[in-house]
Amino acid sequence: MGWWTGSALTQEISDEALCQRVAARDEAAFDLLVGRYQGRAYRLAWSLLRDAEDARDVSQEAFLRVYRTAGSFRGDAKFSTWFYRILVNLCLDHQRRGSWWRRLLVRDDGAGDPEDAVLERQPAPVVDPGDTVGRAQVMTKLWAAVDRLSPQQRAAILLHVQEELPTSQIAAVLRCSEATVRVHLHRAVGVLRKTVRRD
Amino acid sequence: MTDARHPDTALTGYVTDALAPAERAQVAAHLDDCVDCRRAVEEGRAVLTALAGHVPAPPELDWGRYRADLRARVQAAPRRAWWARPVPAMVAAGVATAALVLAIHGLDRRPTELAAVEETMLGARLPLLQQYRVVERLDLFEDLDAIRQLDRLGNGGG
Repeated sequence: MGWWTGSALTQEISDEALCQRVAARDEAAFDLLVGRYQGRAYRLAWSLLRDAEDARDVSQEAFLRVYRTAGSFRGDAKFSTWFYRILVNLCLDHQRRGSWWRRLLVRDDGAGDPEDAVLERQPAPVVDPGDTVGRAQVMTKLWAAVDRLSPQQRAAILLHVQEELPTSQIAAVLRCSEATVRVHLHRAVGVLRKTVRRD
Repeated sequence: MTDARHPDTALTGYVTDALAPAERAQVAAHLDDCVDCRRAVEEGRAVLTALAGHVPAPPELDWGRYRADLRARVQAAPRRAWWARPVPAMVAAGVATAALVLAIHGLDRRPTELAAVEETMLGARLPLLQQYRVVERLDLFEDLDAIRQLDRLGNGGG
């Protein structure tokens, strides 16, 4: 079966079953998995990296890893956990590799305040007719504060508020204990509360 | 400063609904009496709810192009070299066993046919070899040229 060809695969097939088919080089199954996860993958990668091109590239790389290593998916965890683990690791690696020249660029631009650079990369706040301008500003500052969290804390917060993963699944994605995730979330929430109080 | 009497990290666990029932009950009991922790829980919940309700959307993407590029990357992905491809365990075990048997028994023994031919040739040359005084110590010769010279002498070359 090739790409984009008609297939007997339906939406009812579980992610885990599709992954097994991908391991057997069923490209239609891979196509279906990509369709299910592409939006989430790109959005999470962008939230972690705050760069559309990087998010596009890294999320594609995550799918490529799935294609290459689907045979190693043992099925003792959910496919989504396995996929998020690949994606988050790629994002964290990407950040580690790129951080030094990003800092350099901020300095060279004369931006001075790293917070300004973070804010510039933010999209326009989500417009809610019921919100005041002040509330939108608070949200912008809040998300800027999220961007300044440590990589692990940020990943934990994003997986919780954006992907709505429970603590146990976040722990599986980040390969740490649930207690550690709770500490990450607690510290992150502490920082964010202070951000809101200062406003 | 963290007060040992306050649940601390369990407060966020309480907000995110990550506590076991017994611990959750303990925190709930504490919250009944602790204004500071109650406020921390309320603020934490407010922050997380606000974030969840206002997740910034990433820039729009051309999904058709995204998938076309991904397809190209998948097809361009280098195939593994034959020696790096996963081999079924039984086949790998069989090859390894055969190699081990060959290494122990095969390499130091020549095939029977070859040994027979060699013996025949040596037998034919036996009278010639008997003429050499040095033949008893032939195994000490490491210089192949010297051995070839002896061979030419035997064939009437000298």
